Amino acid sequence: MKRPVLVAALVALVVLSAFSVLLATRHPVQGASAVPSPLLGHEAPAINGTLLAQSTTPATSVAVTPGANVLTGLRGKTVVVNFWSSWCGPCKAEAPELSTFAWDERQQPVVVLGVLFNDNVSAATSFANHYGSLYNSIVDAGGVDANRYGVTSPPTTYVISPRGQVAAELVGPTSVAQLRAVVQRVSQ
Amino acid sequence: MAVWIGRLGVYLCFLSAVAGVIDLGVARRRRTAGHARLFSWLILLGIVVAVIDMQVALVTHNFSLAYVAENNATFTPLLYCITGMWSALEGSLLLWVLLLSGLVVGVVHYYRRQGDDAVVQWAELVLFVVVGFFTLIMAGPADPFLHNPAHVLQGAGPNALLQDNPLVATHPPLLYLGFVGFSVPFAFAVAMLITGRVQETWPLEQRRWTVLAWGALSLGIVLGAWWSYQVLGWGGFWGWDPVENAALLPWLTATAYIHSVIVQDRRGLFRVWNLSLAIATFALTVLGTFFTRSGVLQSVHSFSSSTLGPLLIGFFALVVLVGVGLLAWRGDRLRSVVGVETPFSREGMFVANNILFVGFAIVVLLGTVFPLLYQAINGGQVTVGTPYFAAVAAPLSVALLVLMAIAPLASWRRASAAVLWERLRFSAWSGLVVIVALMVSGVHHLTALAAIFFATVAAGSALRTLRGVVRAARRRGGWEAAIGAPSTAGMVVHLGIVILAVGIVISTSYAQRHEVTLATHQTTVVDGQSIRFAGFAHTSDALRSQTLLKVYVDGHLLTPAVTTYNGRSGQTVGTPAIDSNLLRDVYLTFDAVGGGDTTSGAQVQNNLPAGSVVLGVTTEPLLAWLWLGGVIVGVGSALTMVRRRHGEETA
Amino acid sequence: MKIVRSFAAWLIALVLVAGMALATQGVGSSAQARVHHLESLVRCPSCQDLSVAQSNATASVALRHEIVRAVQRGESDTKILTSIESVYGPAILLSPATSGLGVLLWLVPAVGVVVFIGALWRLRRKSRL
Repeated sequence: MKRPVLVAALVALVVLSAFSVLLATRHPVQGASAVPSPLLGHEAPAINGTLLAQSTTPATSVAVTPGANVLTGLRGKTVVVNFWSSWCGPCKAEAPELSTFAWDERQQPVVVLGVLFNDNVSAATSFANHYGSLYNSIVDAGGVDANRYGVTSPPTTYVISPRGQVAAELVGPTSVAQLRAVVQRVSQ
Repeated sequence: MAVWIGRLGVYLCFLSAVAGVIDLGVARRRRTAGHARLFSWLILLGIVVAVIDMQVALVTHNFSLAYVAENNATFTPLLYCITGMWSALEGSLLLWVLLLSGLVVGVVHYYRRQGDDAVVQWAELVLFVVVGFFTLIMAGPADPFLHNPAHVLQGAGPNALLQDNPLVATHPPLLYLGFVGFSVPFAFAVAMLITGRVQETWPLEQRRWTVLAWGALSLGIVLGAWWSYQVLGWGGFWGWDPVENAALLPWLTATAYIHSVIVQDRRGLFRVWNLSLAIATFALTVLGTFFTRSGVLQSVHSFSSSTLGPLLIGFFALVVLVGVGLLAWRGDRLRSVVGVETPFSREGMFVANNILFVGFAIVVLLGTVFPLLYQAINGGQVTVGTPYFAAVAAPLSVALLVLMAIAPLASWRRASAAVLWERLRFSAWSGLVVIVALMVSGVHHLTALAAIFFATVAAGSALRTLRGVVRAARRRGGWEAAIGAPSTAGMVVHLGIVILAVGIVISTSYAQRHEVTLATHQTTVVDGQSIRFAGFAHTSDALRSQTLLKVYVDGHLLTPAVTTYNGRSGQTVGTPAIDSNLLRDVYLTFDAVGGGDTTSGAQVQNNLPAGSVVLGVTTEPLLAWLWLGGVIVGVGSALTMVRRRHGEETA
Repeated sequence: MKIVRSFAAWLIALVLVAGMALATQGVGSSAQARVHHLESLVRCPSCQDLSVAQSNATASVALRHEIVRAVQRGESDTKILTSIESVYGPAILLSPATSGLGVLLWLVPAVGVVVFIGALWRLRRKSRL
């Protein structure tokens, strides 16, 4: 009766080896990863809200009419929409990068627009002033905009093409280099 | 300085483990006794030095250690300084190796008179290898004693959720004690297979200690659930999170093991099952450390992601390969002369028990790694959450309750239906009465009714067995004999499990969640309770600042709060307030505050007037039964120490 | 004989109680029950393992409102879940679709049941482990 034992052992070994290889080849989740969002290639959902008051002047101003879609006035430009909160750790690392990028691209048809995610106004204003944010942010009351975009947690960045379509979704803290690469690809 | 004393301790521990392995290898060749005792003490000395060094660094806020700078601050209270050692990955390994080393010293001491026995030597060798592996990780990629080059005057402090509740002092140590405890059956299983001496009774002699390790693991898991419940703010205690599953998987096979060993003890059967289960439990423990520490699966409970993944999976693969290989090699020696004659017997039910527990573990493992499998094959992301796990866990749990109801009363070899029914009759009728009473009071959930029916019968079987045991023993030897009788500890544990099961079933099926908005001094009624919001309170000290809400639930004061911890990260977390009694728990959270109040740190809802708050009110019936059941399980496992040793039993 | 009679009496009582239990099963398709069911299947977007029923995070509350509106509009369960999935991606559902690889999640337990019954059946012929 030794054969069944050998067969069982071999099967077990194969299954468990495959299992180990599967797990050994998974990579830890870290950094800003480009996510295959279901919105890619589709018209960018509307963004409504009020402007967050902050003490610094943005590199490029965005006109915000309460109740109207902010993105309609930005057609023809590449828009980097960044969902952030004051309580999110990676957002603190990302904020200076976004400001640097906004300043670098101020002469280009590129706009950085922040959207507040699940946060209160005064904490957000303190955050924006502390980091000297050089871009405008929208207060998303009730998480309606986040819901439209399918944001699961901050920081999440969407890059919208000049034709108004969602061209990329980055989950996690981005950097100037990454933004530059993505925006260059999108603007072509 | 602190860096080098700690590192020295870890290196001493590692080198002693390696030396111990070599020494035992040589001793095996020469058929001598070896020096396992010496090396086990050296291992313990090394890790104790490292642990003391870390503890001193934490308590004195020595920020020249990167670990202390990340997990401690000058205002961290003493308790959380001490528990800071296991608040993050590197330090948690210190705790693990400390407990493991202590256990190894104990095992070597226990078997000191058999130091030249091949099985003992191989088992000690395996234990030294395990110690060596975990210390290797600490000597390399997960160094707790990394020097902090920056001269910081203040540390980040522990994660807010890890300094919110004293249970952080009990859950990890007990859990690790359980995990570490099962490396002994594993080591002896491997030793028995290598030497071919698989007919011997090593696992049976170790039964008391194995049950104690199981008890620690069970208590650790229950305390972990209680801790999450008190701190995470959603009113639940189990999320089928990968890290939670990581602790559940070895528990499932360990439970199968401690039951299966009973059959080996009584009738010499199930040798293959027992060796396999011992190996599986240890393998699943290593897999669990992989899930918790590799960062490959996202979890609220996991430590920071790291490069440990491949190393831990490598060790898992090694354990599994060695285990399966040895079982296949010695397979022919493992068959017993007699067998199980019919499924309708105590042995047959233990077979069913083994299959159910292993099946449960396989299904939970599948659900946990499925997202990774999906990503590898299809490239997309999926989530496997509570709906799946609950759907598969429910029938499995009911089946296990059925076994708990019948098996203690079934005869060995061949159960007679008539005798079985005679013993079950009273409990069976009681079960029907209980569920009729429940239906009358509004419980209609079918799974809940089925579960409680079988739970009642199981309680009846446990009580009946206890009554018989107590009567017989008191006639012979008084209370101590009664407590020390073979089934007592087990039946007490079964009673604990029944209470726990009823608590889980009722609280999850009939929990009610509400959001109420209250202005100051306003009262409302929720689930038959009056809730009155009496105003705000603020406290602040060096450690944290809190905004509390004074809420009166049926006259009892509860203070749900939002707490901001000082420290470099400045985290704000919600602090729930719970009013608990045996009938129901009321769980309050401070969800939002109205108007422009921005000082509390809570979510602000501008459409509400200032001074009003949004409270989360969750009512969960019988939730406290979980903790009560857990305590009884712990007590029952401890009772096993009163048992007479294997071999001294006359039954 | 007495044993058989007493068992039969209990069995009849069990059947009666079971019948009572089955009869009191509410008709599960009321709007509130549907909403509750759907909420337990959708993951809270900003949490790790919680459903939108269990979490009061802003994103979660927003999704709950969306589900309520969709149920009131008369949409079917499948349509609601599909439309949420089309915005957030498949990872928003707490239980993967049973098509494709997801079949494995249900196949394995089913096979397990067969193995269980089979193993116990085999015990009736002498087993040797």
